Amino acid sequence: MQKTIQYIVFLVLFLLLFPWTAQAQDSCSYQLSGYVIDEHNRLPLSNSKVYIKEPRKVVFADSTGYFVLPDLCSGTYEVYCKHIGCDAVSKTITIEGNTEQSFYPEHHVDIDAVYVIAKKKAEEISLATRKLSEKDKNETKGLSLGDGLTRLNGVRKLSTGNNISKPVIHGLHSNRILILNNGVRQEGQQWGNEHAPEIDPFIADELAVVKGANGVRYGPDAIGGVILVNPKELRKTPGIGGELNLVGFTNGFQGNASATLDGNSNKFPAFRWRLQGTMKRGGNVKSPDYYLKNTGSKEYNFSAAVAYLKPKYGIDFFYSQFNTDIGIFSASHFGNLTDLQQAFEAEEPLESANFSYDIDRPRQHIEHELFKTKAYLKTGKKGKVSLTYARQYNKRLEYDKHPPLNDSLANLNLPALQFELTTHTGEIVWKHVRMNSFKGSVGINGMYQGNTYKGRFFIPNFRKIGAGIFWIENWKSKSAKLEIESGVRFDNIYQRVYMWQGGNIISPAQNYMNMSGTVGVIYKVNKQFTLRSNAGTAWRPPNINELFSNGLHHGAASIEIGDSTLVTEKAINLSVSADYKRKRLSIVFDAYSNVINDFIYLKPTLVPTLTIKGAFPTFVHDQVNAHLRGVDLTLNYAFTKEFRLTSKASILRAVNQTTREHLVMMPADRFENSLEYNFKDIEKVKKAYVSVSMASVLKQTRVPEDMDYANPPEGYSLLNFAAGMDISLKEQSISIGISVNNLLNTRYRDYLNRFRYFADEMGRNISLRVKVPFTLFTPKSIYNQ
Amino acid sequence: MKTNSKTSMKTNMKTSMKTNMKTITLLGLACVAALSSCKKDDDLVPVPPPITSEVEVITTMTLQFSDAAGIQPDVTATFRDPDGDGGLSYDIFDTIRFMNNTTYNASILLLNETVSPADTVSNEILDEDDEHLFCFTPSFANLSILRTDTDGVFEVGLQSQWTVLGAGNGTTQVLLKHQPGIKDGTCSPGETDIDVTFVTEIQ
Repeated sequence: MQKTIQYIVFLVLFLLLFPWTAQAQDSCSYQLSGYVIDEHNRLPLSNSKVYIKEPRKVVFADSTGYFVLPDLCSGTYEVYCKHIGCDAVSKTITIEGNTEQSFYPEHHVDIDAVYVIAKKKAEEISLATRKLSEKDKNETKGLSLGDGLTRLNGVRKLSTGNNISKPVIHGLHSNRILILNNGVRQEGQQWGNEHAPEIDPFIADELAVVKGANGVRYGPDAIGGVILVNPKELRKTPGIGGELNLVGFTNGFQGNASATLDGNSNKFPAFRWRLQGTMKRGGNVKSPDYYLKNTGSKEYNFSAAVAYLKPKYGIDFFYSQFNTDIGIFSASHFGNLTDLQQAFEAEEPLESANFSYDIDRPRQHIEHELFKTKAYLKTGKKGKVSLTYARQYNKRLEYDKHPPLNDSLANLNLPALQFELTTHTGEIVWKHVRMNSFKGSVGINGMYQGNTYKGRFFIPNFRKIGAGIFWIENWKSKSAKLEIESGVRFDNIYQRVYMWQGGNIISPAQNYMNMSGTVGVIYKVNKQFTLRSNAGTAWRPPNINELFSNGLHHGAASIEIGDSTLVTEKAINLSVSADYKRKRLSIVFDAYSNVINDFIYLKPTLVPTLTIKGAFPTFVHDQVNAHLRGVDLTLNYAFTKEFRLTSKASILRAVNQTTREHLVMMPADRFENSLEYNFKDIEKVKKAYVSVSMASVLKQTRVPEDMDYANPPEGYSLLNFAAGMDISLKEQSISIGISVNNLLNTRYRDYLNRFRYFADEMGRNISLRVKVPFTLFTPKSIYNQ
Repeated sequence: MKTNSKTSMKTNMKTSMKTNMKTITLLGLACVAALSSCKKDDDLVPVPPPITSEVEVITTMTLQFSDAAGIQPDVTATFRDPDGDGGLSYDIFDTIRFMNNTTYNASILLLNETVSPADTVSNEILDEDDEHLFCFTPSFANLSILRTDTDGVFEVGLQSQWTVLGAGNGTTQVLLKHQPGIKDGTCSPGETDIDVTFVTEIQ
């Protein structure tokens, strides 16, 4: 009786949940037959599993891909087909007699290449794309995005103290590089030197840098290169699992915890989701001799993703939030130039401190929010169209060192400066697979952006509307040795500014339009040796601060004045790269020459501005022609299976061609040598290694005259150590690691740190990290037979 | 056999339903979290909001001198940068003109003229006199300057006495240091709020 009731309840639920399977079942002698064929090369996929869940029936395709599901009753079935390396595909099939139906499962890589278009994962492009290795990714866990990317040769960081750092690619940063966060152009207040990218590095499964101008593919601003931040793919196998990361640092007693939870539905393999969150807290950091006052930070970030992905169509939704509070080193805020001079001459910062987690004034509070949705649809056998929409909201609050003197104002505790930037972006791209040796994509992008400020004036409110159209094709020779790619793009940006002038609102408008083009060649000499060459153009409109800023920079004790007559900055970039890999030796070589016409830079004026706080050096935005060229070289040699040496060199020369002077704030030459010893895997311990590296940065001697308060700091060498291993515990493999940066506690200052005038860099920093993957739930029904 | 398969079917069904429910609940939670945390912006206002007096600046410093003996006429000297640092330049920058052999009592008036009516910042300095210090540095020996007021422990400098000892020309630097918690009676600690050097002429 009880069983009958259970059966009825089950049946009712079954009917409610899966109405399409509910059909009268009378005759049960029909068969379903067909072939399982590879979607792309049309080859039979033998041994594919074809099955129905209710009633459970499983058969395997033979060597010709042929299968027969016998003894089916008439009715409607959800039939699944699964092949190793492919996603399960399913079809709803109505059986009213013997039926034929073939299946075309797709390999994972193909799905991903089409699905995550911005990922360019399976794509070879003629510009050097360098990815952060698994080891580097592990060792930089807990560091900011800017810090982590410096592991890539040719990528450096522009920092403001220890907790604000921005990536620099081949000497270019801020609005001259582009960050694609999950395929979406990151739109924050990137123009500021002390404005770091608002991205949680823990979200990134893949961090890569495309070196060189690439305006065609990515639109305006990609003059120096593109940073790709790609989250992990959503879970494909049924079940629920995740990963927990814990990282602790001794300097600043910084702690990081990040967790990911992802799942895939057993019933609907196309349905996938993920939740992710990160928390971070750090206190005052210590240089070898003293604590740096007010250098703590705290951060919390989270993201959620849901997707329904089928080979022929799919949609996904992504939402993420980044929130951070950053203490700005107290002794970096100056009333006037005399204060700065005094701080510069002092042996130690004029304000001393002990360890504390408190974040005091001056400080920044930043929020960044991203919502993204993307849908794709297969158009026939040859193409796929995808549609992406994203909204970003960026809020930046900057608090001065001192609250207002007026008590009622001070009690409001308002930031001295507040920006709110909202951006909507949309994209439609149609991509076709290789046809007659050609593959390519064509698409349009649109963008709508608004900025408002409160508090002190630095940049005005503005509205910005952008549109672009592009077309890229790639030709591959029959032998697959030679690939040629070429593309063209047209962009238009309209921008209107709203600002107060003498009690009235004025609203001047600007319009910028530009063409970009790219031609590239990939030549595979043999399996070990690949050559790439690319010529490309990129451009960027003058940024809002370059046009309209007018104010005092407390950190730099200088006045910056915009110029509303600035024109578009245009770059022509030539690059050559070579990848060579033999058993023992591997070489990665990138050379580039980037000519930037109408390069916008801050030019000192001879007359300082006199204010009530004294006289300030004054800079105006000016345009010159610039030429940046250099090489990045990485050599890797394995002496034995266990023992390997890696040498890296990165050299850049940057010249202002108009004045025949060097460009200011360009990274000095850097060299790094590291020795790594890999232990043999044993039963419980795998991938164990220790490595020691010595990184040397030369003194930047190529600087223009009269552009700086002081000469660049001396060069330095840092000794670093790292070790790690994977430990097998039951079915889990736990990774642990230790890293020591600046092992010898060397006292040094870096030219690209804006606090170099008055504080040493961070001293020794030991970090410990643990990564624990876990599985909460694995359904058995889909795999067991 | 039949029962067995039924039972296993049921178990399967139950487990997967459970998973489904779990997934749906999680998704629901995620959606609610996402929606409730979605941040509103007000960037679509037709024009930017007027600049309010949220930011405090000192636009004007006026030194007011009177002859302690009441003989010579009063003297004033002003520096004014009406929109604060940056932007437009200063519009008033007076020379201090003294008569020889006179002792002047001086008081300092600070204003924020970006707001209407102007805010008297020197009153706020007076309220927080234990965090502020004025420093006076004449470039020549004919002028001697003493602060005459106190915060209870250290001098402040809103009130001072300027003694003229001989004719000549030079400059006088007026500094205001902000020294919260670090005031020690000297000019070195703290940040500079004001730094104006007046041309000074003594007849």
